[in-house]
Amino acid sequence: MYVLSVLGLVILVVFELLALKSQKLMRLLVFSSIAEVGYIILGLGTGTFSGQTGALLHLSYQFLMRGLVFAAAAAIIVRGGSQSIEKLRGMGRTSPFLTTMFAFGIFSVMGLSPFKGSISKFLIVYSNIEKGYYVFAVLAIIGSVIEAWYFINVIQSICFKAAESEKGAAAEAQIKNAGQKKMKPAAEPAAKASKGSMPVNILIVLLGLLTALASLFPESIVKLAEDLAAGMFGISNPTPLPVFDTPWPILVLVPYIGAFAVFIIGHFIPKLTGILAVGIAAATVCLAWFDGSIDGLSRLFTLIISFVVLMASLYSIGYFKGETNNKRYFFFLLLTLGSLIGVAVSTQFGNFYVFWELMTWASYLMIVHEPTEKALKAGFKYFMMCATGAYFMQFGILMLHNELGTFDMNAVSSAAGSLPPAVLLAVVLAFVIGTGVKAGLVPMHSWLPEAHPAAPSPVSSLLSGILTKIGIYGLIRVLFAVFGVGVLAQLGSAGKLSGIGLLISVLGIATLLYGEIMALLQKDIKRLLAYSTMAQIGEITTTLGLGTYLSLVAGLYHVVNHAAMKGMLFLAVGILIHTLKTQEIVKLKGIGKVMPVTCGCMSIGILALMGLPPFGGFISKFLMLYAAVSAGYWYFGAFILLGSIIGAIYYIRLIRTIFFEKYEGPAVKEAPLVMLIPVMILTAVVVLNGLFPQYALNLVKAAADYVAAQGGMAVTTIPQIVVSWPVIVAIPMLGGLFVYFLGKRSKKTAGWISVAVMTASLAAIAVSSGRLDIFALSFALLIAFVALLNLLYSLGYMSHGHAQNRYYMFFIMMVGGLIGVATSKDMFAFFIFWEIMSSWTLYFSIIHEETQDALKEGFKYFIFNYIGASFAFLGMVMITANAGTFDIAAIAAKLGSLPVSVAASGIILLTVGFLMKAAVLPFRIDFQMHPATAPTPVSGYISSVLLKSAPYWLIRLLFIMGGAAMLGKLGMSGNTPVLMYVVSWIAGLTIIGAGAMALVQRGIKRLLIYSTVSQIGYIVLGLSLGTTLGMSGGLLHFINHMFFKDLLFLCAGAIMVQAHVTRLDEVGGLGRKMPFTLSFFMVGALSLAGIPPFSGFTSKWLIYEACMQQGQVFLALLSLAGSVLTMGYFLKFMHSAFFGTLPKKLENVKEAPWTMLVPMGILSAISLVLGVVPGLPLTVISKVLDMMNIPRPEFTLFGINTPLGAWQTGVVVILMLMAGVIGIGLFLLGNRKVRRTNAYTCGVSDITNDDIHVSAGNLYESPDEIIEKVHDTVVVPVFGNGEEVQK
Amino acid sequence: MSALKLVFNMLIFPGGLFAIMLGMLLMGVDRKLYARIQRRVGPPLYQPFIDLVKLLQKEILVPQTANYTVFRAAPLIGFIGMLAAAVMIPISGVYPGLDSSANLLVLLYLLATPALALMIGASASGSPYSAIGYSREMSITIAYEAPLLVVLMTVAMKVGMANGGFADFSLGHIISYQQQNGSMIFDITMLPALLAFLCCIPATIGTVPFDIPEAETELAEGPLLEYSGSGLAMYNLTGGLKMVIISALAVALFFPGTLGSFWLINLLWFVFKCLLVITLTITVVRATRARMRMDQALKFYLTVPVALALVSLVLTLLGVRI
Repeated sequence: MYVLSVLGLVILVVFELLALKSQKLMRLLVFSSIAEVGYIILGLGTGTFSGQTGALLHLSYQFLMRGLVFAAAAAIIVRGGSQSIEKLRGMGRTSPFLTTMFAFGIFSVMGLSPFKGSISKFLIVYSNIEKGYYVFAVLAIIGSVIEAWYFINVIQSICFKAAESEKGAAAEAQIKNAGQKKMKPAAEPAAKASKGSMPVNILIVLLGLLTALASLFPESIVKLAEDLAAGMFGISNPTPLPVFDTPWPILVLVPYIGAFAVFIIGHFIPKLTGILAVGIAAATVCLAWFDGSIDGLSRLFTLIISFVVLMASLYSIGYFKGETNNKRYFFFLLLTLGSLIGVAVSTQFGNFYVFWELMTWASYLMIVHEPTEKALKAGFKYFMMCATGAYFMQFGILMLHNELGTFDMNAVSSAAGSLPPAVLLAVVLAFVIGTGVKAGLVPMHSWLPEAHPAAPSPVSSLLSGILTKIGIYGLIRVLFAVFGVGVLAQLGSAGKLSGIGLLISVLGIATLLYGEIMALLQKDIKRLLAYSTMAQIGEITTTLGLGTYLSLVAGLYHVVNHAAMKGMLFLAVGILIHTLKTQEIVKLKGIGKVMPVTCGCMSIGILALMGLPPFGGFISKFLMLYAAVSAGYWYFGAFILLGSIIGAIYYIRLIRTIFFEKYEGPAVKEAPLVMLIPVMILTAVVVLNGLFPQYALNLVKAAADYVAAQGGMAVTTIPQIVVSWPVIVAIPMLGGLFVYFLGKRSKKTAGWISVAVMTASLAAIAVSSGRLDIFALSFALLIAFVALLNLLYSLGYMSHGHAQNRYYMFFIMMVGGLIGVATSKDMFAFFIFWEIMSSWTLYFSIIHEETQDALKEGFKYFIFNYIGASFAFLGMVMITANAGTFDIAAIAAKLGSLPVSVAASGIILLTVGFLMKAAVLPFRIDFQMHPATAPTPVSGYISSVLLKSAPYWLIRLLFIMGGAAMLGKLGMSGNTPVLMYVVSWIAGLTIIGAGAMALVQRGIKRLLIYSTVSQIGYIVLGLSLGTTLGMSGGLLHFINHMFFKDLLFLCAGAIMVQAHVTRLDEVGGLGRKMPFTLSFFMVGALSLAGIPPFSGFTSKWLIYEACMQQGQVFLALLSLAGSVLTMGYFLKFMHSAFFGTLPKKLENVKEAPWTMLVPMGILSAISLVLGVVPGLPLTVISKVLDMMNIPRPEFTLFGINTPLGAWQTGVVVILMLMAGVIGIGLFLLGNRKVRRTNAYTCGVSDITNDDIHVSAGNLYESPDEIIEKVHDTVVVPVFGNGEEVQK
Repeated sequence: MSALKLVFNMLIFPGGLFAIMLGMLLMGVDRKLYARIQRRVGPPLYQPFIDLVKLLQKEILVPQTANYTVFRAAPLIGFIGMLAAAVMIPISGVYPGLDSSANLLVLLYLLATPALALMIGASASGSPYSAIGYSREMSITIAYEAPLLVVLMTVAMKVGMANGGFADFSLGHIISYQQQNGSMIFDITMLPALLAFLCCIPATIGTVPFDIPEAETELAEGPLLEYSGSGLAMYNLTGGLKMVIISALAVALFFPGTLGSFWLINLLWFVFKCLLVITLTITVVRATRARMRMDQALKFYLTVPVALALVSLVLTLLGVRI
């Protein structure tokens, strides 16, 4: 018997290979048929009942189906006049009927058809496994793979490809009559030709019908074969055969039968095709929703699948409008839907496999729907890879049945523990490969980036949105529901992970990094999205590999989100491609301006993919990180973050290309509603999943609960991620939208509404004062107050700007995020607001001017912030996941008892994130700080207020929540944690470094930006000392700097907008034209330089003393030297802008309008008061110190007393007033006659005012040289940018 | 009572009248001695006073290119700063200083106000010479502030560490420390700091070889070029006051010792010490040296005095006592 098997095998392999080599159709078919004989012999060779039945069944099936194939092939050969497959190309165009029947036959032979497939080959393979002939089984499967290879080639050549001659002709025809439909001339002769040979046609139809019937009702044939086998080989008591096929559930039948209905009805009434398909898809969604019989996991996936298909089908109506062949498309669409649902709801491995194959087949036909060369190649790859993967799976399934005698998943599940480890491993690996191919895991991914761009957009949407997800589904179902973590653990473990889990996670990490990096390099938008899909799938599998309940919830939630996000993106991109007829990203430049709705939705999808709140992707990214950290594998989370940082680069680039480049394409209109609606619905899902995650999470939880119950996974509580939007945040957020839509009409309206919105926010914060602690409340009040001033200022500043409603919207939303950051009482909400504040709102605010410079700088800043936020993100998750709560007070209470390694790492990561926000160590200011190209009210706001979120949270984290104490456990130096010293030194070096860089700047705003970084260095230095003096000084400077720096920016903005300049070199002498601005500037500058008794002095004085008190003499020296530099750069600004001679072109500059002067005046007044009366802010600060258990400083309204000395503003002000009186008295005493003269020019009289102006570039040559030299030798070689020193 | 005392301190002694007179005296002595070193007769000691009166009588010239208000007001800034500072510094054995605000850090900032006034005025004048002068003034400020800061920190640390803390910025405490432990000048570890401090004085006052901002041969007095009348008078007064402040500070920080307890003797002793400081650091130096270039000055200040001051700082930090 063994000999017989070997013989069969030899025949099989040899003839399959021969068929593979054949170039002639008939010869190929004959060889292939002989190979089938090999299968039959192989089946008989096992001598088992199943083998013999399989052989007989195979014989009968093959006889019938091959009959159909041969008949059709013969007819095709006659018609085509050649044997050569090559020459028969393009027959599909001329003889659609014959080729369709031919394809139908071949697919049936391969066991694929819209009907149930034949199971004879399974039986043969099964019998070999049964006998333990694993090698034979594998070889038989390899034979099937070879068979699939050449058959698909044949089908593609004959049925889909265009004939060589036709190609040229078609191209010509296209050029000649571009307007006409190209299919028509080809179709007509075909119709004529097919009428020719009636008898053959009838035969073919008959055989086709028989094949269909045999596929539809295989039970009777199987029965027949069984009886026959029993009779022939005299087996009296046969063991029951594996039952592959069980009845199909109604959920599958509806789309299946619907598919045929659509096809037939569509044939007669083409207009109805799409609508009908949508109806059926909708019905399926409803059925899925109300079907109570399926388990949670199936329900989740069924809903996702049917919903996305519904959207895609609706969209397809618009997409394929005017094309004749769409009935075939909708037919396969519904078949795909049916088979996908089939996979998702199968409780039997037999069905699971059958549907899996059908799904591959049906989706393949959708990929090649537009049979271009590219699509066919991609389709071929897709089919071959997925089919091969499926064969692996088939092998695994059969092995399982052989061991356990059942296909029933529940039965397998309960018996899985008893499987021998080798078998278990083989089965698991088979499943991992089978599902992994579909999911597109590296190294089984190569079909994915080719199929996505080649397929029509709605199909890409399905591929990415749900077909890859079905791979994930398979993975979850088999590994975690059927086998379960306990069984997997039998295969060995690595750390806390099972070996298989580790494998999956590693595959996931590889996939995600590969996907992100490849996406970065793409020029084709669909390829980009395809690689991005890989990356997202990688994230999901990385998480799933952890094998915990949380990872399951996280992975599944990301499945939901990604289906919506990517599904929507492909549809939206499809609209663009459809309109512009190109997939190249560069050609989509500026399309957002002409198609705002599509692109608006797209950008939301992109933001969600980047994992930014308040969109769905953020929640799932958070959950994935949380799961990774909870499982103790925080570095998996780090990989996910790393991936998304890479992702952010190409996504933000995409947004930039689409919205902010100049549009140069043809005049186009927004897409038809039928295509927009699905895009908008999916966008809504993305947004709702972010705002109200609990609804989708309920579905996900049900699924995870089911899996956990099945697979023996410990159910843990999942984090309470209810996103709460307090009123004080909601007002600016919704207000932003309000401004956007109401402000479209006029510029003035937008501005005034936003002022009103901010006033309302301010009032709301004041009203809700009872619910906030003093620290949060005062910061929030300052945030809203300064925002109000800057918005008022914007009225004047922006009065000639474009798209003001957009500007105001993002500004207000940014402020909203900041208020959230200040007032959040739980870490999760805090982080959401942190991301909102520092990602997209900021980006859109910064690049508002849309100049190339602005875009470039905005991009860099966005990425830098994104990276910084990623550090903070991981840190936040590490702390919250280990503390098991988000509540800040609760975390603070628990922090001390957490393991040092975890808590300290979390705190360090958060600190790094915060310090990055504060732009410390400004070696690459172009990345680190808000670029100078932003509108000035925004720059000023970011500099003065928004960046304060960093020190604010450092204080909260380190001193109010007790992070510093935790860091102390890592090592103390004296009574200060060593790491706090590190922070102090970073701050100290920042003060001097940024101060020096400010000194050499010539850009109006760049100078102020460096100054800000330097000043924030003071704040951080003060707070890092953690003493009464340091903290008081830091907080006082926090407040002082907010006012005087905003004031300085607003003055700079006034210059920029009134004189139209951006560099200090270009101005001079403006003080005479803008006296108010000059006065306000002087107040700001003297406060900044800290000339007593201006406000900056008190705070810096406290910081110096604090340094000295702690023995940090070098830090004190650094910060003192920083003050000298401060004086230097503010004088430089003052001189270049306001003094010296007025250039001719600025003769007509006028003072800024009142809307700009009033905010500046208010800020000056506050700065003055803060300087003279430091007791006012110190009253609040001492209450904040109480929260940190730091003793209050000793102060009065007009003075501070410290152990190192006292500072009495009151006394000094009186002294100065008296000195002033004396001085003025002297002036009055003297001669008061004034004569205006020409400035002394050493007798030279032929030079103009412009010539004698000493501009910014001519100042401070010697110190500049030193600074530039140090910068060039120390910073540039390491950080590689000499741009900062603007010579 | 204390308010009245404050007014007295401000207007008569040690600020106001006394400080101004002392400033004039220092200037007069400087000029006289300077002339004598050059073998000239030189002006009488009261020449600065005569100059002041003369300048007050002159009309005020304001360039067309100037920012009028700022140009006129700028001289006041330094005057106010110096006059306020004059009240703060203690004169040992005579005046305890304005203890509540006599803080070394406050003084440090006030000490910068004359330069600030000069720079703002120069900048506001619209003259290119003045602008260059202002730029140089800033550069040299950056240069001499570095060693000055180190010296002040060292003194504060010396006192603070003796008092059980790390630093003490109260001028009163600095004096009383020296009364108990002997003047800093007798502490060898502090000698480098003293030298560094003395090095800084010519640059603070703006005399040769560090008169680079004014450099009359190149810049025709630089920042002061466009000033005349009461404005120039104010600057001159401020210059005199600054001499008082800087020398008084040197005395207070390094050798505040008294001669007995009679206030008049101590006052004269104080005036003598101030004169000594000024003649040593200003008169002798400017009479014997030529003007440096800006880069030379920068290099000088960032190396020699900084190094000297750091020696004292490190020794103090290590608690070395010799």
